[in-house]
Amino acid sequence: MNVNARFLTNRIAQQCAYKRIVTFSTKPTEQSAAAAVPQQQQQQQHDAVAPPVRKPIVPAHYRFVYPEFLPDPKVEWRNSIREKLERLDMLNRRRQIELPEFYVGSILAVTSSDPHAAGKTSRFVGICIHRERCGLRARFILRNVIDHQGIEIVYELYDPTIQKVEVLRLEKRLDDSLFYLRDALPEFSTFDEHMEAETLEEGTPVPINELKVVLRPRPWLERWERQNLRGVANIDQYLKDKHRKSSEKVQKPWEKYDLMKQYRATIPEEEQKEIFAEVHTELHTLELQRKRNKRKRTFVKPKHLA
Amino acid sequence: MAQILLRNITRASNSTLLTTSRIGPSPLTIPAVAAANSLSQQLHTTSPCCEIRKLARLRVVDNSDLGKRAMAEGRPPRCIHVYNKRGVGLIGDKVLVAIKGQMKKGILVGLKQKQRLKQPQFDSNNLVLIDDNGSPLGTRIHVPIPTVLRTILKEKTLSKGADYTKVLAIASRYV
Amino acid sequence: MLRTVICDLARLRLSGSTASSAAVVVTQVREKGHLSRPRLRNPYWFIRPQRSQTDDLVTGENRSFIKEVIHDTYGVPALIKGVQTYEQRQLIKTPQASATEDAQPWTPNVRRCGLIARKIGQYPLWLKNGERVRTTLLQVVDNHVVKYIPPEEYRPAQQPDVKHLHRYGCLVVGAESTNPALLTKEYCGLFKDSGVMPTKNLARFIVSPQAALAPGTPLNVGHFRVGDFVDVRGKTVDHGFQGVVKRHGFKGMPASHGVTKTHRRPGNIGGGGEKGRVWPGTKMPGHMGNRWRIIKGLRIWRVNTKYNVMWVQGSSVPGSTNGLVYIYDTILPLRRPQLAPPFPTLYDNDAEEQLPEDIWHEQVHNFNEESITYKPE
Repeated sequence: MNVNARFLTNRIAQQCAYKRIVTFSTKPTEQSAAAAVPQQQQQQQHDAVAPPVRKPIVPAHYRFVYPEFLPDPKVEWRNSIREKLERLDMLNRRRQIELPEFYVGSILAVTSSDPHAAGKTSRFVGICIHRERCGLRARFILRNVIDHQGIEIVYELYDPTIQKVEVLRLEKRLDDSLFYLRDALPEFSTFDEHMEAETLEEGTPVPINELKVVLRPRPWLERWERQNLRGVANIDQYLKDKHRKSSEKVQKPWEKYDLMKQYRATIPEEEQKEIFAEVHTELHTLELQRKRNKRKRTFVKPKHLA
Repeated sequence: MAQILLRNITRASNSTLLTTSRIGPSPLTIPAVAAANSLSQQLHTTSPCCEIRKLARLRVVDNSDLGKRAMAEGRPPRCIHVYNKRGVGLIGDKVLVAIKGQMKKGILVGLKQKQRLKQPQFDSNNLVLIDDNGSPLGTRIHVPIPTVLRTILKEKTLSKGADYTKVLAIASRYV
Repeated sequence: MLRTVICDLARLRLSGSTASSAAVVVTQVREKGHLSRPRLRNPYWFIRPQRSQTDDLVTGENRSFIKEVIHDTYGVPALIKGVQTYEQRQLIKTPQASATEDAQPWTPNVRRCGLIARKIGQYPLWLKNGERVRTTLLQVVDNHVVKYIPPEEYRPAQQPDVKHLHRYGCLVVGAESTNPALLTKEYCGLFKDSGVMPTKNLARFIVSPQAALAPGTPLNVGHFRVGDFVDVRGKTVDHGFQGVVKRHGFKGMPASHGVTKTHRRPGNIGGGGEKGRVWPGTKMPGHMGNRWRIIKGLRIWRVNTKYNVMWVQGSSVPGSTNGLVYIYDTILPLRRPQLAPPFPTLYDNDAEEQLPEDIWHEQVHNFNEESITYKPE
């Protein structure tokens, strides 16, 4: 299986000029997804020509749905066997619990067992403001305002004390991390605890919420004006000339042309294909199983209520 | 918005504070912009310290009379001692605060600094005022408090002798 | 007559002078310090392994022939994609091995062989009570015993004190077999008697004579059990010459307030008066890292027998990822094994049933199990 996958990826790699994709970014999603479609077509065409070895074609969006399956790109820390073992453990955990697709900006509800709580479980609803790290260390931060008090909790995705992860609203925001919600007005991070899960129709792309948040006046926790945020409405209002000047000074517009920096910060596409070819079938069957179960549950529901 | 400005004003030196409090019944009456201009030299605009050590400003989250008045006046209590060996308060630690010219004890029930996994991190440093026996001055806490406090305060009650579990009894909700 | 007298006188004078010189002149021995340091003698297997690579002008046919010969002599490569190709039961049994096999049982004071491993990374595991432990993964890389030197013949570089003389033997273990065509003749000769394919790495382990192993015995991760404690030795990451802030964690001095040119310097290094000198052991700038360090008493939380990987507690194993480390039984008295570990190593005959692929410590949460829940009181 591996050999075949590598063979395929090599051929694809020869065709498309080695494109690398940042693992934790939502920004280039549209471009790369658009680019990925012709790739798939090419692959299919190529398959027709090539000897009849049918391989499961890994969907192009997998690197955004399962970003934690891609290892840390730092070369000194890579080791193929460690990564393989880690992936096996992740798959084993995913067989036990449904870890749905979610992005920075999605609203989640996490139920985890808590030895300190009265019922030994605690549930927290909030907006995912950050996702980081890879492998079993993958973690995300949820934020909510409860009783006019901003609260943030860091969860690890593969922590076995987590009992359930529900996605209440699946969407993306304009930025890769939403730390600026800490300095925004509280209504932008207030979410109802008893929110009903909103369902997306199957096959629709994940919507991007174009909401722009309103910041409070200074003092802020970070210098937001230096971070080129797209999801902030009123930042100009609080900037003086000295802020503009200093933010201009720290800008690094040449970095987008720095191919080596990009290379060091990402996993090459060929390797991504290899990795996902290994876990794809398992993930796909799990997805199908979950879907079937969900349908069953929806049929059972009225009976249960009655 | 007004609250933030108020907090800014309170960061001014003592003398200006005295004058402002003398001028009006509440500093709300001062136009915010004018205050900012005149006090811009003395305003303390750095973000509050994430660690609870001496002179850290805290937020009283119970409905005790003293605490409510202090917060409404925009003179939040300052920590003047932390009752542990490290000198930096963690969640559930007892602190001594200066509030409205008095010394009171309190328990930290929510922190701004980084917390452990699965434990909540708050946007402000929250405090519940207690008396020397450990019973709270107020009757209700109006923000959520972390569930870990249940374990921590129970342990402290056993080891320190004072009954801190009354703080848990007045909590409105846990997170 | 006169001549004889002169000769006698000269002889007398000569002898007199020699006698006096023997009494007065002392040959200076400048090298001799106050320490009677033994001369360092490298063990005999410290030979240059790599052959100088020249363009051999070997034709493709000949190259494949060399490959064939290597394959015929040593069989299939020991590791393919991290999975070992040989079964543990296919032990190469030499007559000596059968002689030692019906040997003494394990006793608490006996010293066993160790393993050569690679540090392949770190990731967390969770205990059954929900606690998160950081673990380091060590992969045992294709270890084979190359030679056993009995205590009588073993001459270590530094002679131990008399009490322990001739008490321990030495096992030479090789790891990671490689193409012998790339190695020098002398280095390949080390492996001649053992029948082991020449390896990239060699290490010696001091063992009790009861724990001796026959040359050619493969060692794998089953040598240690889950729950045992091990000491791990490795060479720390080389940081080069570093200042005191990085090397010893000094605070440095303020960035401003009139401080010039002393932001990361150590400051004062000693007092005056009677102690008016730099005391030995003062923390100063210098070379950081690249030292052999042993980290002791790490618990083995989990073992994978397929890839020969063990998960040990902590993330402070010396060395970089993909660096070599050596694993020993711990010397900490309270963490030494109470029950007999596989002795002298795990033979397949000993293990009645095949070991499972993944072995978990009883406290560790298996990812195949359901989520952790707590019982309400």
